[in-house]
Amino acid sequence: MDYKELRLLEMLNQLSLSDAQKSEMLEFFEKRESDLAILNELDTESVERMVHVMPISTVVREDIASQPFDRDELQRGAPNAELGYWCVPRVVD
Amino acid sequence: MKYEVVIGLEVHVELSTKSKIFCSCSAEFGAGPNEHVCPACCGMPGMLPVVNKRVVDLGMTAGMMLNCHINRTTTFDKKSYYYPDLPCAYQTTQWFAPVAVNGYVEIDTPSGKKKVRIKQIHMEEDAGKLVHDIAPDTTHVDFNRTSVPLIEIVSQPDLSSADEVIAYLERLHSLLRFARVSDCRWEQGSMRCDVNLSVRPEGSTKLGVRTEIKNMNSLTAIARAIEYETARHIDAIENGTEVLVQETRRWDDAKGKSFSMRTKETAGDYRYFPDPNIMPIVIDDAWFDEINASLPEFPEVKRERYITELGLSEYDADQITSSRALCDCFEDAYSVCGKAKDCANWIISEVMSILNSKKMTFDMLTLDGKALGALINLVCDGTVGRANGKKVLLAMFDDASIDPKKYAEENGFIVSNDTSLVESVVKKVCDSDPQTVADIRGGRDKAIMALFGRCMKELRGNCDPQVLRKALMDYING
Ligand SMILES: [Zn+2]
Repeated sequence: MDYKELRLLEMLNQLSLSDAQKSEMLEFFEKRESDLAILNELDTESVERMVHVMPISTVVREDIASQPFDRDELQRGAPNAELGYWCVPRVVD
Repeated sequence: MKYEVVIGLEVHVELSTKSKIFCSCSAEFGAGPNEHVCPACCGMPGMLPVVNKRVVDLGMTAGMMLNCHINRTTTFDKKSYYYPDLPCAYQTTQWFAPVAVNGYVEIDTPSGKKKVRIKQIHMEEDAGKLVHDIAPDTTHVDFNRTSVPLIEIVSQPDLSSADEVIAYLERLHSLLRFARVSDCRWEQGSMRCDVNLSVRPEGSTKLGVRTEIKNMNSLTAIARAIEYETARHIDAIENGTEVLVQETRRWDDAKGKSFSMRTKETAGDYRYFPDPNIMPIVIDDAWFDEINASLPEFPEVKRERYITELGLSEYDADQITSSRALCDCFEDAYSVCGKAKDCANWIISEVMSILNSKKMTFDMLTLDGKALGALINLVCDGTVGRANGKKVLLAMFDDASIDPKKYAEENGFIVSNDTSLVESVVKKVCDSDPQTVADIRGGRDKAIMALFGRCMKELRGNCDPQVLRKALMDYING
């Protein structure tokens, strides 16, 4: 992880880090990368991908529609909503 | 120099489910803004997704129809991106273990059959809708489409012309509608596709610069966009008119041009990672077999069977196999009455014209085929006249619970075998119009049709035409 990659992650996550936070982050990622380098020395060619640490599968539900929530109730906490829509700052020119 | 075009498609298909993929909100199209939303699909903190089984059923069905390998353990992943149409700031999709992989479909080309390989089919949630034209500085967000289930069908770059792309899309359309995976309506956006295209000198194995045209939703626009992009690439390669870059483009059909949108994110930028909130979906043998057994016959196999085994004409077989609903109705009707040609006639001339008059597509047909078979029996054995049979059919469209025989009885549509009744009506009609009777006796044979019509009306259509004709002739000549 170099400074440029960190900038990209910062941008993709809509974050704005201070210089102190940036060096802290870089240190953090460097440590993780060296940990991963050790793991990468292992030959995992014949090892099946682990999907989950526990041998469990998801529950599924039947395809039945219901509408237990009221729109106005959901939008009550919204900073800005009108005409049934949530409002956000304009995203296109 | 000669060039070849290399095209791969990503086709998004909205699944025919009643509810959304991870919550029970309705997936139906066309509600008012945010009427189909709940805390889960609005991305409220703490809400957890619960997988809709039907989505997995349909994902597997699509995979099987497209000759794919089904991953018996399939998982969901998070694809990160910030945009207000996705309230969680990630899309839940499949990256590491999609439901189906490594399939193919066959298409017809001028040089014969061609296999188009399918890389994978993955299940995912749709995004919401953004409205930019209500207020100048605000974007309005509607989450009704958020979390509506989709599959994305990713092909290998095996297509090499607009014609092949259209043939491939039409094939997908037909197979997915037949298997009831989706209604595949381009105009409603329930089928749409991204076109990946590059151009290289013929015979070269090196791929050219690839551009992606996003969100295409009509076959004619897709064909035009491919022609335009191909010409633009060749022009850039030959004449250096511009430097091609790997990018996403938007097609403007009115202008007949494509425009750059933004530089393409690489897969890494989406930072895919396994969704810790959804446990793996494990498809056991019973589940797999259940879906496998539910697959329909391919449309062309049905067509062939209708012609060779049931004796339908090619035209009739084409008409009926254009829609799965028509096929089901036909087969149910045939199972009851065993008269293939009559079933085809009733469906093509009567059922289709009622659908047309109601402005319904063939796939919207909900008529009970077995009841249609019973009605056809009644008409063929002379119990109900053909004109009255049509009235019964019309009533059956409006009320699926109608029993044709009972309905015909209740409405006086049963043909009378009572010859004395027919004779008395003939006498009454003839006696009221001695002039016409005299004309017929004098040789004007055609005038008999007028009397025939009046008698039939008097009998409310409930008479075998042969019987009535004979009774009339006997009376006039006797
Ligand atoms: Zn919901």
